[in-house]
Amino acid sequence: TSSISTTFDLKTYWSTLREEINQKLDEAIPVQYPHQIYESMRYSVLAKGAKRAPPVMCVTACELLGGNRLAAFPTACALEMVHAASLIHDDLPCMDDDPSRRGKPSNHTVFGMDMAILAGDALFPLGFRHIVSHTPTNLVPEAQLLRVITEIARAVGSTGMAAGQFVDLEGPPNAVEFVQEKKYGEMGECSAVCGGLLAGASDDEILRLRRYGRAVGILYQVVNDVLEAKSKSKSKSEEEKKGKSYVGVYGVEKAVKVAEDLRAEAKRELEGFEKYGEKVLPLYSFVDYAADRGFSFVDSI
Amino acid sequence: KLQETQLEFQFDFNSYMVEKANLVNQALDDAVSLKEPVMIHESMRYSLLAGGKRVRPMLCIAACELVGGEQTTALPAACAVEMIHTMSLMHDDLPCMDNDDFRRGKPTNHVVYGEDVAVLAGDALLSFSFEHVATATENVAPDRILRAIAELAKCVGAEGLVAGQVVDICSEGADDVGLDQLEFIHLHKTAALLEASVVLGAIMGGGSDEEIEKLRKFARSIGLLFQVVDDILDVTKSSEELGKTAGKDLVVDKTTYPKLLGIEKSREFAEKLNKEAQEQLSEFDHRKAAPLIALADYIAYRQN
Repeated sequence: TSSISTTFDLKTYWSTLREEINQKLDEAIPVQYPHQIYESMRYSVLAKGAKRAPPVMCVTACELLGGNRLAAFPTACALEMVHAASLIHDDLPCMDDDPSRRGKPSNHTVFGMDMAILAGDALFPLGFRHIVSHTPTNLVPEAQLLRVITEIARAVGSTGMAAGQFVDLEGPPNAVEFVQEKKYGEMGECSAVCGGLLAGASDDEILRLRRYGRAVGILYQVVNDVLEAKSKSKSKSEEEKKGKSYVGVYGVEKAVKVAEDLRAEAKRELEGFEKYGEKVLPLYSFVDYAADRGFSFVDSI
Repeated sequence: KLQETQLEFQFDFNSYMVEKANLVNQALDDAVSLKEPVMIHESMRYSLLAGGKRVRPMLCIAACELVGGEQTTALPAACAVEMIHTMSLMHDDLPCMDNDDFRRGKPTNHVVYGEDVAVLAGDALLSFSFEHVATATENVAPDRILRAIAELAKCVGAEGLVAGQVVDICSEGADDVGLDQLEFIHLHKTAALLEASVVLGAIMGGGSDEEIEKLRKFARSIGLLFQVVDDILDVTKSSEELGKTAGKDLVVDKTTYPKLLGIEKSREFAEKLNKEAQEQLSEFDHRKAAPLIALADYIAYRQN
C-alpha cells in the first residue's frame, strides 16, 4: 500500500488547503477592544510555520465520506483554536517553561503570563462558538454538530490532552506511551473523527477514523523523537526531557519499530474505505508523510 | 401542592437558595467524578465543590422555570455556568494573575495542587462545561442546545468574561479610569456570566426571543448592581460587618463607583439599576418571577 500514495501530490493538496485555512483563521479572530487579548490570540493561532495538520485531516476525512468541505472549515478552524489554547498554556513557566515555539518567542514571552492564560481561556470558547455560528446549517444536522463539539471538548479535556500534559509533568515516570497517546494521538483522532461526523459517517467508519487518526498522531510524534535524537544539535533542555520521548525510554531501534507498526496500523484502518476509490489517497499519504517527512512547507521551520 | 400555595403568600428566598444549592451541589458532584488521572480530577472537584452560594446556577434554573421549563432541563446548563465561574476563579488566583493564596477561607487550588495542575484543571473544567451542556441536556431540541452553547461561549470568551478581566488588569494603577471603563469591566467581568446563566436557562426552558432578551437585560442590571453595592459596602461598613477587610479599595486606590460618583449618587445608581432589573420582570407571572425578584433585592439590600 505504500506505493499507492506516490501517485498523489500531497504537497500541493496540503499547501492549498493550508492557505485556505490560514485565511479563514485570520478572518475568524478580528481585533476588537480590548485589542491586547485579540493580538495575543492571533499571535499563536496565526503563527507562521504551523502545518495545520489537524484541520487538513478534518477536511479530508469529511470529503472522503462525501461531505462538503464547506461543512468542515468551521470545525477545522476550531481545532486549531483549541490546539493553540493548549499549546499557549503548555509553554507557560509553571508547565513546560518554553520561552519559544516554532522559532518565535512563546505567547507569554511576548504578552505576559496573565495575558497568555486569558488568551487560552478565550480560545477554547471561541472554537465552540465558531462551529455553531459558521457551520452551514443546511449541510450538517444540528445533532451532528453537538457530537462534534462533544468530541473536541473530550479531546482537550481532563481525560484527553490535559491528562497527557498532566502525566508528562507530574508522572508517573516512564508513562511515555500514555503521554504520547494523549498529547498527540488525541488531536489526530479528534480531527479525523470530526471530519467523519460532519459528513454523517456510519459508526463503523467513525471507529476506523478514530483508530486511524490516533495512530497517525502518535506516529508523527514518535518520528519527531527519532529525528531529534539523530540530529546532533540537541540542546540541553531536550536532553533533560529524555524520559519523555520514545527514544529516550526505548532507544532509536525500538522507536523505529514502533513507528513502522503505527504506519501499518493506520493503513490497515484505511482498507475499510476502499470503496471510496481515489478519494482515500490523501489519508494514505498523510501516513507516509508522518513517517517519512517527504517535504516541508516554504515558511515552516 | 402545599408548597405552591405557600409561595403565593410569601416567597422564602433562603429556603429556595438552600434547596437549589443542594440540587446543584449533587449534580456537580455527579458530573465531575474521580477518574484517571486522579489528581487532575481531584483538583477540579476541590474548587468546584468548595461551596459558594451557587447564585449562577440558581439564576439559570429560575429563568428556566420562569419561562415554563422544568428545573431538570436547565440543570446541565446550571452546572456549566458554575464550572466556568470556578475555573475563572482558579485562573484568577494564580500567582501570575491576582496571586491569592486563600479563597473562602481555604487554600487556593494552585497552593494545594500546584500551578500546573491548577491551569490544566481550569482548562478541563472549561471544556467540560461545553461537553456537559451538549451531552447531559435532556428534552431540548438540538438547535436550542447549540444556541445555548454559542451564548455560553460568547459570554465567557474574549467578548465577555475574558474582556472584563483584560481591561481590569490593564486598568490597575491607572488614575484615569472613567465611568465608561468601570462599567465595561463590571458588565464583562461580572454581568456576562450572570447573563449567560439566565439566557441559557431561558433557552433551555423554551423561552421566546422576547423573554430571553428581557432576562438578558435583567442579568446585566443585577450584575452591575452587585458591583455598585460591593463598592458602597467597602467604604461604609467595618471589616467586622463585611466578614472581609473593609476599605481595601481605598488602600489600593481602586477606581470604584463611590470614588467617581460619591456615596449618595452611587446609592441612587444602585436604586436605578434595581428598578431597571425589576421592570424586566414585570410582565412575567409574578409568582414564577418571585425567585428573581428576591435575588435582585438580596443583591441590592445586602449588608455584607
